[in-house]
Amino acid sequence: MIPDFLYQIVVFAIIVTITAVFAKIFSYLIKGAFKTWAPVVRTHVQRLVSVCIWGIGLLIGIQQLGLRMDFLLLLIGLFGVAVLIAIKDSLENIGAKYFSDVYVPFKVGDIIKVGNTSGKVIEINPITTVLLTDNERLISIPNSLFLKEKVENVTPRIWKEILVPISISSNINLPQFESEVLKTCNRMRRYLDERFPPILTVKGRDKRSVGLVLTLMVREPSKKNEIIEEINRKIFETEDKMRGGKRKRRK
Amino acid sequence: MVFPLLRRMLEKDILTNAHWVSLNSMGPEKIEADNITLDHVRLGKKRMGGYGQAKETMWKTLHGIQKKRKTVELFFWQDEFIDYTHYNRLCSELVMKLDKENDFDLFYIHDFQQLPMAHMLHTFKPKVFRWHIPFDESLVPKMWRQPLASYFDAYDVVIVSCKKYLESLKKFGYTGEARYIFPYIDQDIYKKPSRSELDEFNHKFGIQEDDRIALVVARLDPMKGQDRTIRGFAKVAKNFPNVKLVVAGNGSFSGKLGIGLSKAERWLSQLRELVKAQGVEDRVIFTGYLTHKELQAAYERCELTILPSVLEGFGLVVIESWLYKKPTIVSSMAGVAELINHGENGLLFDPNNPDDLAHNLSAVLSDQNLASALGKNGYKASRQCSLERGMKSEAQVMLDLVGSMVAKRRVRR
Repeated sequence: MIPDFLYQIVVFAIIVTITAVFAKIFSYLIKGAFKTWAPVVRTHVQRLVSVCIWGIGLLIGIQQLGLRMDFLLLLIGLFGVAVLIAIKDSLENIGAKYFSDVYVPFKVGDIIKVGNTSGKVIEINPITTVLLTDNERLISIPNSLFLKEKVENVTPRIWKEILVPISISSNINLPQFESEVLKTCNRMRRYLDERFPPILTVKGRDKRSVGLVLTLMVREPSKKNEIIEEINRKIFETEDKMRGGKRKRRK
Repeated sequence: MVFPLLRRMLEKDILTNAHWVSLNSMGPEKIEADNITLDHVRLGKKRMGGYGQAKETMWKTLHGIQKKRKTVELFFWQDEFIDYTHYNRLCSELVMKLDKENDFDLFYIHDFQQLPMAHMLHTFKPKVFRWHIPFDESLVPKMWRQPLASYFDAYDVVIVSCKKYLESLKKFGYTGEARYIFPYIDQDIYKKPSRSELDEFNHKFGIQEDDRIALVVARLDPMKGQDRTIRGFAKVAKNFPNVKLVVAGNGSFSGKLGIGLSKAERWLSQLRELVKAQGVEDRVIFTGYLTHKELQAAYERCELTILPSVLEGFGLVVIESWLYKKPTIVSSMAGVAELINHGENGLLFDPNNPDDLAHNLSAVLSDQNLASALGKNGYKASRQCSLERGMKSEAQVMLDLVGSMVAKRRVRR
């Protein structure tokens, strides 16, 4: 006869395994369904869905172990509210920084105008964006302001620029990936300004991934969205192909 | 230039550890010698071909001799440029990996084929770039200006070989820190050859005891202007029946499929035809590659040297020749021309004017006093390109960037 507690642990393990499988399946489904989205956004949606599935799965699993869920949830909820109140302003700025990575059209080196302030962006950290003004003053602007105020990027030729954030697994061969991305860009040359060749820049890396930005200059601003979608699709295919190649080699 | 510099800096305790990353598809992954680790980057045959072609296009364009307009305009959109970028990315990835293991204080990147490196290195650590070839902003195509400028801007300091190139770099629009440091050689390795070494050299190349030798030492390449020397020499050959022109050197630059000799061989056959056409067949000797001992003998045996380059980053052969107190006749288009005071430590000539070279050749060959004075003064001037002096200037750039305390700390190996 199997003791009760052992039975509960086995069920818990099965629930965790099923949760992991579900999280993986949903991650692949999202990846496939949103090929043309900016890779950074896609990755974050994948993570968010994954965290939700894991949360639900673990709660069901814990319940199975016979623990009191109402008390546990109350504790987690109270702790969460306390943390949110304590770091409300910082979270607002960090959130804005996350969204500005994808949607606000400026980067370090650009000249921007926000409200009555204008200057060159010299730093974008998780909380603030630092501007250097013409009279050499440093002005720090909370990132949350960029979601509320009108931001004007007055850098010359900036309307031509497309910045495509890319995140690839650190297992992918970067030189090879770069070559494939550049080949894709070359095939789209007729839509791009030939004086400004595409440039892939490493923005950050950790054990799991490498953060990159592809900079392109378009001929016509009206084509921007089409180009971004096409580039994102090609990058997705390239990454997928290279991952597939790696999997095959492992086999 | 790099290896002697690193070795001397390690000897003088300016550096405590050095890694040298370079292209070598055949050799081992890593070699250690004299506290310097050579880390090799490998390129496949196909990539090597594309990289070689991209390098050749850049070199020709920046020397103003690329004739195919389309190739220049579309350079950054061609597969060859992707191979060039691939090579630079391989280097930068290796450098970042080594940095993780060694925690370097500074990155020193050499020559135009590695220009994109700083842009690729994801670190705030200082990056210095040494531009070895001529820099003439008027030769930079319009389509290249923006990409080249963005590559240059990623460096903390750019070093060029002479004042003229520095001015040109500023005219190009580079506003970052830039300096010029004359190239340098380890002058101690140039020794006086023995009598037997001289005899061997004479015998090998059919040089008679009473022959007077005018020497050209250069890679076999149209940019080196050997043809200009032959034309100038042919004009005075009749007046100096004992004078022979010795053309030393073979090819080392990339040919059609990467590193090869095809370009040099083609150029050699054109030069042989020119010699025949000018009627100086029995007066010109092509030696091909010379060993260091043979080169020493060539300098010792000659009466004067000529640097006829159409355009030349610097021209260290002039310094080598000065070490043997030989008078030199130098193209005004070479970087080293900045060190020449015409009539005092050398003679300058326009490489596009054979009469100008002929005139200077006659002057040196017919006036022993002038020849001797030029050689002696040249010897004094050669000190400006000593390894010691170059190292001090390079070290100053490094120390200004990293600070002496940091530079002297022992790096974990």
